[in-house]
Amino acid sequence: MAQAMAQNMFRISQVSLNNVVRCNAYAFAPATSQAKAYSSASTTDKEKSKNPIQKSVFISQSTDIFTNLALEDWMYRNFNFNNHHVLLMWRNSPCVVIGRHQNPWVETNTTNVAHQGMEIARRNSGGGTVYHDRGNLNLTFFTKREEYNRRNNLEIVSRALFREWGIESVITPREDIVVKNTYKISGTAAKLGRPNAYHHCTLLVDVNKVALRQSLHKDDKGIVTNATQSVASPIMNLCEINQHVKVERMLGAVGWEYLRTCPETLEDGGQDLINKQRGFQLINPTDNWFPGLNKLKEELSSWDWRFGKTPKFQVNKSFRVPKEFLGEGEMGVQELKVSLEVNKGIIDDVTLKLPPGLLSTNGFHGEVDVVTSLRGQPFSERAVVSLENALHDMSTKEGNLQGKSQFVMNCMRQVMQSV
Amino acid sequence: MRSLRGLHYSSVARISRCFVARWQGNVIRYISISINCLSGSRRFTDKHEWISVNENIGTVGISHHAQKSLGEIDFAQLPDVGAVLEKEVTCGALESVKAASEIFCPVSGKVIDKNASVEQTPRLINSSCYDKGWLFKVELTKPDELNRLMTESEYETFIKSGVYK
Repeated sequence: MAQAMAQNMFRISQVSLNNVVRCNAYAFAPATSQAKAYSSASTTDKEKSKNPIQKSVFISQSTDIFTNLALEDWMYRNFNFNNHHVLLMWRNSPCVVIGRHQNPWVETNTTNVAHQGMEIARRNSGGGTVYHDRGNLNLTFFTKREEYNRRNNLEIVSRALFREWGIESVITPREDIVVKNTYKISGTAAKLGRPNAYHHCTLLVDVNKVALRQSLHKDDKGIVTNATQSVASPIMNLCEINQHVKVERMLGAVGWEYLRTCPETLEDGGQDLINKQRGFQLINPTDNWFPGLNKLKEELSSWDWRFGKTPKFQVNKSFRVPKEFLGEGEMGVQELKVSLEVNKGIIDDVTLKLPPGLLSTNGFHGEVDVVTSLRGQPFSERAVVSLENALHDMSTKEGNLQGKSQFVMNCMRQVMQSV
Repeated sequence: MRSLRGLHYSSVARISRCFVARWQGNVIRYISISINCLSGSRRFTDKHEWISVNENIGTVGISHHAQKSLGEIDFAQLPDVGAVLEKEVTCGALESVKAASEIFCPVSGKVIDKNASVEQTPRLINSSCYDKGWLFKVELTKPDELNRLMTESEYETFIKSGVYK
């Protein structure tokens, strides 16, 4: 049954693809006039019964996180969802995606993630941080704002898992989907605007769990912030429950369940309802088909959006000062305290609290140089380099402070690299 | 009618409709009510924001209906001071239950202040949406835009109609 359906899907998608090529310019031109007229229009019951909601399933052919986020944003801003709901399915190459109001330095180790060749992206919706790779399927349910209903969407996913593989799952109050009462296989987030809204969720089919754990690993980095925090949950791949679960089959399973389910009542309309829908379409997200897409992609991949959009925060760290740097007669444990204020991803202010013992009889003049070299720098590896240069210059001028300045520099480097 | 010179035409027209039968006997009351119609009273958008204007400075927030349907707000992203906004353009977002809801500016203007208390404690919007939970202030560039917004009673009717969530 599933195989026949899958074959049907690809036949339909091929036909649809031809239609897409023919009518794409019309279908995907920005519906700006409709978008601006939203405030005075309303869908009456009469209109609804005359024009029942039809559904489409779009499958993105891109695996680039920024292109897919741009496509999602493009559809949210420009598409007309009057009597037309769309499910967009997309997958990405390995990357980390943070929520709109999150702090990437809290949620992940940005240096490590970069060394692994992964991008960090910030999405437009709320919620927590997730790891994506091609074993994860993203589902975006687009509707008009008044028809937004997350639970209904998750119910469709849950039904698809059961119908295709007999997998039982539960939708929690937090609107995660869990299996075996414990393991999360899907997390949810949403964006609400006027006239459109979307709900999107992940689906863990066959992700690299080691890479996931490593990229989402959080240490206490001394960051004080009011950014939204992720809630960690134990996770599981669906392929661990049933080895036949594959992403390619999941596309069909969820897509068909979406098309056969009545949007208002959640009733299963079966093949009859499927025949009344618009079917599957393969989507090639380029600027030709989606005018303005490149501009959205540029904004989403910019440092300003990904890191600069971080709500302001403070980094506080303490370092125990080795005895040899303390003055004679200084007893007990002395600490060097570093505090950075970061606003819009830029280091606004640096405070160094030096214990009295760290000051020589000539005073520690390096403090001023350290602070001024960091202020105004983006909170990144670049700031460390600039700091090293400042301290190197200082230590060559005042040789007797070399040991102490090296210590301070190492502390600052630790602060920057730990995030 | 000299006392009404300088007031906006539509405000004058509305007052005239209400009080034309009584203006001779109630001149003082007429003037004080006309001043109230221009400053302090709240106007609403169909996206559930409110604005209250005093000497061309509008204070913006979201309505009780909006805060209730959003649920507990976890984060408020407000427009920067100095930002120049057009009417109905998105200017920020409120996050609740993992959903980021856009804030739309009710009128055109320049942002002159934002509520740091709300940035620190977003739940103020839930507990005091018309008072301590205000979001930001704008200096209006097109005061006429206010007249196209709903009055409080028009907004109540709008909510009861259930057309929009």
